[in-house]
Amino acid sequence: MATVEENTTKVYGATLSRRQFVKAGGALVVGVSLVGPELMKAGAKAAVMKNSLDPTLISSWIEIHPDNTVLIRTGKNDFGQGTTFTAYRQIVAEELSVPFEAITTVVAGDTDRTPDGSGAFDFLGHGTPNIRKAAAYTHQALLDLAAEKLGMPKEKLSVMDGVVSGGGKSISYGELVKDQQLKLTIPVSGELTSIFGLTVEGNPPMKPVSEYTIIGKSYQNSIINKKVAAKQTWATDVRLPGMLHARMVHPKTLGSTLISAGAVDTKKFPNARVIVKGNLVGVVAPTEWEAIQAAQQVAGGTKWTEWKGLPGSTGLYEYLRKESDWTTAPVNKSEASKGDVGGALAAAHKKLSATYQLSYMKHAPIGPTMAVAEVKPDGSVHIYTHNQNPQALRGEIAMMLGTTADHVVVHAYPGPGHYGRSNGGNAGAEDEAVILAKELGKPVRVQWMRADDMQWSTQSPAAFTDVELGVNEHGKLVAYQADHFMPAMQDDRPIGAVLAGLPTMNAPELESKSVTSITNRIADPWIYGSVANLMERGHGTFQVGQKTSPLAVGLRDHSMRTPVQFQQNFPRELAMNEAAALAGTDAIQFRIDNTNDERLIGVLKAVRDGSGWDTRPSPQAGAQLSGAKVVRGRGVSAMLRSGTYWACVCEIAVTPATGAMAVEKYTIAVDPGIVVNPAQLKRQVEGGAVMGISHALLEEATFDESGITVDDWNSYPILTMADVPEIKVVLIHNPKVGSYGGGSEAANALAAPAIAAAFHDATGKVPRRIPLKPVYVQAVLKA
Amino acid sequence: MATLLVNGERHEVRAADDTPLLYVLRNDLELIGPQFGCGLAQCGACAVLVDGKEARSCVTLVSEVAGREITTLEGLPARWAKQKGLSAEEAKDTLHPVQQAWIEEQTPQCGFCQNGMMIKATELLESNAHPTVAQIKDAFTNSGPSPNLCRCGTYLAIIDAVRHAADLMAKGR
Repeated sequence: MATVEENTTKVYGATLSRRQFVKAGGALVVGVSLVGPELMKAGAKAAVMKNSLDPTLISSWIEIHPDNTVLIRTGKNDFGQGTTFTAYRQIVAEELSVPFEAITTVVAGDTDRTPDGSGAFDFLGHGTPNIRKAAAYTHQALLDLAAEKLGMPKEKLSVMDGVVSGGGKSISYGELVKDQQLKLTIPVSGELTSIFGLTVEGNPPMKPVSEYTIIGKSYQNSIINKKVAAKQTWATDVRLPGMLHARMVHPKTLGSTLISAGAVDTKKFPNARVIVKGNLVGVVAPTEWEAIQAAQQVAGGTKWTEWKGLPGSTGLYEYLRKESDWTTAPVNKSEASKGDVGGALAAAHKKLSATYQLSYMKHAPIGPTMAVAEVKPDGSVHIYTHNQNPQALRGEIAMMLGTTADHVVVHAYPGPGHYGRSNGGNAGAEDEAVILAKELGKPVRVQWMRADDMQWSTQSPAAFTDVELGVNEHGKLVAYQADHFMPAMQDDRPIGAVLAGLPTMNAPELESKSVTSITNRIADPWIYGSVANLMERGHGTFQVGQKTSPLAVGLRDHSMRTPVQFQQNFPRELAMNEAAALAGTDAIQFRIDNTNDERLIGVLKAVRDGSGWDTRPSPQAGAQLSGAKVVRGRGVSAMLRSGTYWACVCEIAVTPATGAMAVEKYTIAVDPGIVVNPAQLKRQVEGGAVMGISHALLEEATFDESGITVDDWNSYPILTMADVPEIKVVLIHNPKVGSYGGGSEAANALAAPAIAAAFHDATGKVPRRIPLKPVYVQAVLKA
Repeated sequence: MATLLVNGERHEVRAADDTPLLYVLRNDLELIGPQFGCGLAQCGACAVLVDGKEARSCVTLVSEVAGREITTLEGLPARWAKQKGLSAEEAKDTLHPVQQAWIEEQTPQCGFCQNGMMIKATELLESNAHPTVAQIKDAFTNSGPSPNLCRCGTYLAIIDAVRHAADLMAKGR
């Protein structure tokens, strides 16, 4: 935690000042003060950035109004998790001791109206999201005020439903703040436009978990009402006066440069125009349909250089192992690594040595990326879009234009889920809209078509892992070694800026900052603590094609739901099933026998009971690797992420002759510690489960030597309703943990290893690559 | 030029005959229920009802639907009010039971596909008042030009909501 002198301890690290009556109906405004290292050096208060909330005064997180209503602001933009409209309101209501319904307004995402930035991920902040601390500070300030007003010591006061009582007297929060403007300055660190934004510091007292009355209940998500009634303005609905519609003509390959742009057939499309900036080609028209048609016509006449610099999907894993540069990036060893793996393996009773592979996958939002941009005569830039990290986008656009972030405003609206693709600040269309709007001096709406979104967006990178493990005579895991190989996962360069030759951050390289580096970290916490010898190493490299593409593009990657951990948990959990089979032990019991973590044991037992698991080793006695008769099997997986323990059992049916596979039943147990909102968590887990089955069975972004070859929902199928199994969610409310872990993200990772293990249980063969498409699993069965 | 009958209102639209209905609904009539998902009739985000049947507005030309009865998400409450013979006053604050069920079951996550899901549910429930889970899965997967796709994975919540909507409709609310 950063500390600074001016932050006195009057309110647990925050400073309260107040001024009587400024305007009718004053409010308690919790502002922020920056205490990052740069500011410490500068030795002064941060200058207030134009188009930002004042970090010390105006940037309010929470407003208490005289009518006892409460407004909250967060930089985190909702992407379907619903957390800002449910859990955030519950958390604030709990810390303030006001009713849930008192929090009437949630302002989220807009860069000029929210304080803290960061992305639509880790909403619950390992139990202490920014908004919780802001609420806790606010609560203390209100108690101080009430103590003075009521003439009672603070310790003798109690609060219920926003009314402070003590010594037979009481006063509501609304009455406390009436006719006053109160300024509470709280310590904050970080960089607003970085991927992680700002963090509220200090240690205000928090309400004891035992006193919770609001957290733990199933409140509804208020934005759903507006969405189902067609009363919510989506990013797709924004229309500005004089706005032009644009469609992009993206290069022919991921390494093609422009030879010449096609001309508009003005007889057919009299109002359309082609805009060219470097290798960026856009077509604009006053109506959307004219823009679409004209862009198609222009694309036909546009000439690009050829490029064949990719290995192609069929040669991918050989290329990754033999051709990729795994030596530039230092190897990252996990902190959990311990003991003498080599010695233990040499002495092991039985050993396994295997390689596991995961394909490239698309985030595949159900609506392609779009944005409306306007560059005003004063140089200010306004972007209306749906983005997981509006503040980071703001920084990227400023860099692209050679200006400062204070000239850029990002207006955040609801839109399709991105599942991580825009958490670094761009999804694809935003910068292109700005470039065209600047060029034309008019507002421009760029909407990518489905093929643009499949072929010109980033993807979740392919990865492979080499595992070596050994079990002893007693069936115990004595050594586990994993070498995880994965190209850089976070390329946050805006693609339009790259194509136009405008400034961007660097492509992922060794020196790149934090998540955009080519290094590969260990992201899947080791949970089998009683294993004596462990070695986990992360090996990173450049993105495939990044170095040879004349555009410096290649296969751009980006974190996707449960990033890095997904790529590391699939091999580990499938290997754990194989280790149990080697030991001749039941796969759940094997996990229990190799851990000393009570919460892990808890979720494993819960999923065992919840699924009606039959305790026995795999494969099952009737396993069949050939024939037209359906065989069934089951498998298990487990994971710890963001303070939450997960375990999953998948039961599948396979037809060996065809490789056809269906998941028939899916059971998942979740222990997040405190369950904030059971109904919402259940829905989020169901959704993650479905996406995970889709990843495991269907999803592969194939590519040839020139680019991505999937371009629609036929070539990149996702799970349909008919394929959805019976899903059982077991929520474990575990208040003694004292905190709440994340729940909306991670369920997607559990299915793949459990399904692959179930396939082994059913057939006796282990498929070590996802997706488990029929052609692949047939090959596994015949090998 | 075409005359469109949308949500009970007649509109003269200037769009060329080959314009997909989606762009006319969104840009000319400012109806925001239907969303652009693929432009290929592969996902269902843009669905509307045409004479009570689900149609993908992204590939339906304006000229094909001139004069036919088009209902968008915005028109579902009035459609229900008309079917139930509710007064204008009663209808004003009424949602279609499908919309109501979507709220009560907390179905949407990002919600971008749910326009099409509610349109499909309405089509289904108007022809089959009490569908089984198998019939619901079949309708949302096989009855349209493509399966209705949800990337957030809300299919179970949709099944719950369709069944709940069936109950609400049977009760006549």
